[in-house]
Amino acid sequence: MKLRPTAALGILALCATLAAPSVPVSAAGDTILFGSPVSLTGSLTKEGHLTQEGYELWKNYVNAHGGIKVGGKTYKVDIKYYDDESKNDTSAQLAERLIDQDHVNFLLGPYGSGTSFTVAQIAERKKIPMVEGNGAAEKIFNQGFRYTFGVLSPAKRYLEGILQMTKAQKPPAQTVAITAASDAFSQEVAQGAAAWAAANGMKVVYNNKYPDTATDVSSIISALKQTNPDVILNAGHLQDALLVQKGLKEQNVIARAYGYSVGPDTPDFASSLGKDANDVFGGAQWSDAVKYKGAPGFYHTAPEYAKAIDNAYHHRADYHNAESTAACLAFQYAIQKAGSLDPEKVRDALAKLDVTTFYGIIKFDSRGINLYKPMVVNQIQNGRLTTVWPAFTADGKPKYPAPPWGQR
Amino acid sequence: MHLVLQDLANGILAGGILAVVALGFSLVWGIMNIINLAHGAFVMLGAYLTYQLFASFHVDPFLSLPISFVVLFTAGYLLQRYLINWVVRAPILTTFLLTFGLSLLFVNIALIVWTGDQRGVTTAYAGANFTLAGVTIPWVKLYTLLAALVITGVMHLWLTRSKTGRAIRATSMDIGAAQLSGVRVAHIYSIVYGLGAGLAGVAGTLISMSYAINPNMGEPFLIKAFVVCVLGGLGSVQGALVGGLVYGIVEAFATQIDLYIGTQHISGSGLQDAIALAVLLIVLIVRPTGIMGKATA
Amino acid sequence: MALLLLVPLGHNGYIEIVFRNILMYAAMAYGWNLIGGYTGYVSFGQVAFFGIGAYCSAVLSAHNIDNLFADVALACVVTALFAVVVGLPVLRLKGHYFAIATLGIGLALSDIVANLDVLGASSGLAVHHVDEPHFYVYYYAMWLVALGSMLGTYFIARSKLGFAFVAIRENEEAAAVLGISATRYKVIAWAISGMMAGSAGAVFAPANGFLDPSIAFSADSNIFPIVMGILGGVGTVAGPFIGALILAGANELLQKYFIKIHTLFFGAMIVLVVLLLSRGLVWLFGLKGGARTWLKSLTAYKA
Repeated sequence: MKLRPTAALGILALCATLAAPSVPVSAAGDTILFGSPVSLTGSLTKEGHLTQEGYELWKNYVNAHGGIKVGGKTYKVDIKYYDDESKNDTSAQLAERLIDQDHVNFLLGPYGSGTSFTVAQIAERKKIPMVEGNGAAEKIFNQGFRYTFGVLSPAKRYLEGILQMTKAQKPPAQTVAITAASDAFSQEVAQGAAAWAAANGMKVVYNNKYPDTATDVSSIISALKQTNPDVILNAGHLQDALLVQKGLKEQNVIARAYGYSVGPDTPDFASSLGKDANDVFGGAQWSDAVKYKGAPGFYHTAPEYAKAIDNAYHHRADYHNAESTAACLAFQYAIQKAGSLDPEKVRDALAKLDVTTFYGIIKFDSRGINLYKPMVVNQIQNGRLTTVWPAFTADGKPKYPAPPWGQR
Repeated sequence: MHLVLQDLANGILAGGILAVVALGFSLVWGIMNIINLAHGAFVMLGAYLTYQLFASFHVDPFLSLPISFVVLFTAGYLLQRYLINWVVRAPILTTFLLTFGLSLLFVNIALIVWTGDQRGVTTAYAGANFTLAGVTIPWVKLYTLLAALVITGVMHLWLTRSKTGRAIRATSMDIGAAQLSGVRVAHIYSIVYGLGAGLAGVAGTLISMSYAINPNMGEPFLIKAFVVCVLGGLGSVQGALVGGLVYGIVEAFATQIDLYIGTQHISGSGLQDAIALAVLLIVLIVRPTGIMGKATA
Repeated sequence: MALLLLVPLGHNGYIEIVFRNILMYAAMAYGWNLIGGYTGYVSFGQVAFFGIGAYCSAVLSAHNIDNLFADVALACVVTALFAVVVGLPVLRLKGHYFAIATLGIGLALSDIVANLDVLGASSGLAVHHVDEPHFYVYYYAMWLVALGSMLGTYFIARSKLGFAFVAIRENEEAAAVLGISATRYKVIAWAISGMMAGSAGAVFAPANGFLDPSIAFSADSNIFPIVMGILGGVGTVAGPFIGALILAGANELLQKYFIKIHTLFFGAMIVLVVLLLSRGLVWLFGLKGGARTWLKSLTAYKA
């Protein structure tokens, strides 16, 4: 076996190069190091970048304002990223790398429910707290994980607001049709909406799913059209939201309201569809119209935050930005309160956290999920995203029922 | 009854696009024995080209069909001539690996150039439709189907009637004999690969009008092209068309399976890939060379 | 291989997981090599076996049976059964048609599991695993699976069985004349290759702790072993291991130094390796005649 020495050499060389830390390890110095595997390539690239923007904005703010005070000492913050390629199994390996190789103090969540679940396992095993703002599937929080906290409202709430709103309008909506992508998050969203409708006297006339890789949804739309629903809901991703919205127009499906779990809040939705995006509703974790007054230490209000995002990244602040920043804020306040960087103490401080920020209340139930912040409903009105529900936070009135296709 | 006709229409309209995607893939595989994993990336590049022309110069997507073809044909020709040609006669797995690498390369270059944002080509007439006997048909998809039929027809005529077309078919049957009778194999191969890429580009243009454009958009189409070209018969122009239509129609009707066994939801649309693949397996077992394939191949 | 036993002693979870994945891909590459390299039936569906193996562990875990030996044993039985049932019709297909059919099996299984509530549908299942100080058991288990696959390949290659596989690859009709029952041997090769991938999946599931269809039937687990098998050298004993080591290693290094464009470099690297080493890495190690032979090889497959 001539190969043996070569292979042995290869293994040793690989070990040596992998073991070399890629950044000067500063965790022990005067920097708090966070780590996050995010989707910088692959199918969730767009959402991954929005997540990263949210993290970066917070980091730059904190460092520009001196840093975080921990027990009398002031620390700068830094965030180490890796690209999980939008794949669930890759993010686990990267989380191990962040903890064992880069010696990060804490983890910030990846984008998506599948990846968040995988990383949560690692956080649990390594006893390193993770706060995530982009994995809304409740399944993550039903495992008894102690080290994972989510700042967002659970998936089942995403479309509830739209149903509540349409039920309160005149004439009230009575029937609903739901289409959903087959991934975990979208399925929970769809189940939540169907359950709410059934419990509140609305009739679910159609409820079906399609694979994530669907290239054509016209037959689902044909079947849905036959049921003649008042409200049409889609639980999916930006890509299929676009496909569904185009398909609804192509088959001239007329309903009183069209709602999406993901899509309308991202600028790509309106820029891709033009006028056909008008009057569509989207469930959102946050919008720049929400009226919270945040604790000191960061931008206090949603408009201030939105302005900062616009200055830094030249687009309108989107809820993915805000929920990612909120994850960082949870750490900021918990670390200050703990007065220590000890993972165990910070975990306990997170569990007891109760703070109001520009994003809303951040407070976790015993499972680690944030049930204390309502979702909002946005509507695209004349190309502009307007918050229309709940009324106390709205900056516009819902346009209902939607005008026919071609008059938008 | 309406729904049955509507599904038939949906299936045929979707199948037309799949046929064009599969056509180029099938020709490259059938004639050159290359499983071109970069095909999906070519579809994506065609879609971005269309988007860029539409967004920057307001070029109508139907008018950019020939542009997509010419640009992608040229790129494919050069790629084959100066890169793939070095290993073109290696076992099929070698070129499989090469095109896998190329595909990663193209997708990630597109990610740098156009970022991960979702783009769309939404024309003034997008979504316009007419209703015939209770069946709603969008104009764009109807024109797309017509374009697919014309492209398939032209390809068929060109391959059977033109001198180059005959040289291509001769090369695929017996490369040695073709070489002896004066066929420049490297040139012919480059033309075939260029055609594959050009057709993918055209497919990308057609897809851009109904599908979201992003760097990874080619992947699901590539997988469907695999199935469609084998379903119809490898390397066969008519086969790609028949395969595409069959696939589209099966998928459309499968969508209407929607029932519950206990709490277990049996959703035909959730299972659409599995159903299409089951049909493929049955076809292959009954007729191992595909619907339109030669029995002896 | 023996050297790899030392990896967990470094107490570095990250290096452990990198090498565990290398071993996992190597085991799958051995499986692929047996049916694709030796027997000549190129399968694009090895991920189906991997996924079945992984779900075997998940189901056992759901019934509170958390024992790696039970996991692997069940995975082997189920994958072998699946291989026989599916193999009898599918292995009648030749060449491209077999390749596509296997691709379809992988995709269809993923689709079916994503719709089955008993298996957690698309939201997946949590799989129990041991706690931190004992986590290395998964590493050693994967090492054993890879070693088993490698030794299996080594002994099969030198046995009557291996001879029959190669005979089928070279000429199925002639093999039949020699009294080799092609169908039986093809199904055997397919089943053994499935057991290799299935065992890897059975160990992977608890180590990963969470399983959903996109993890169990991921495109990477399908295509990486093939790429590694080809890169190392098709139809050789050392090939898959060398291929897995180099490809996974390169991927990690690129990921580390080029966060945003690592996939781009990865693609470029594959293109270069194919053009410069079209016969696989193992061929390079045994190269006689030095640079001249290598230069000659560059144009060997030119049209």
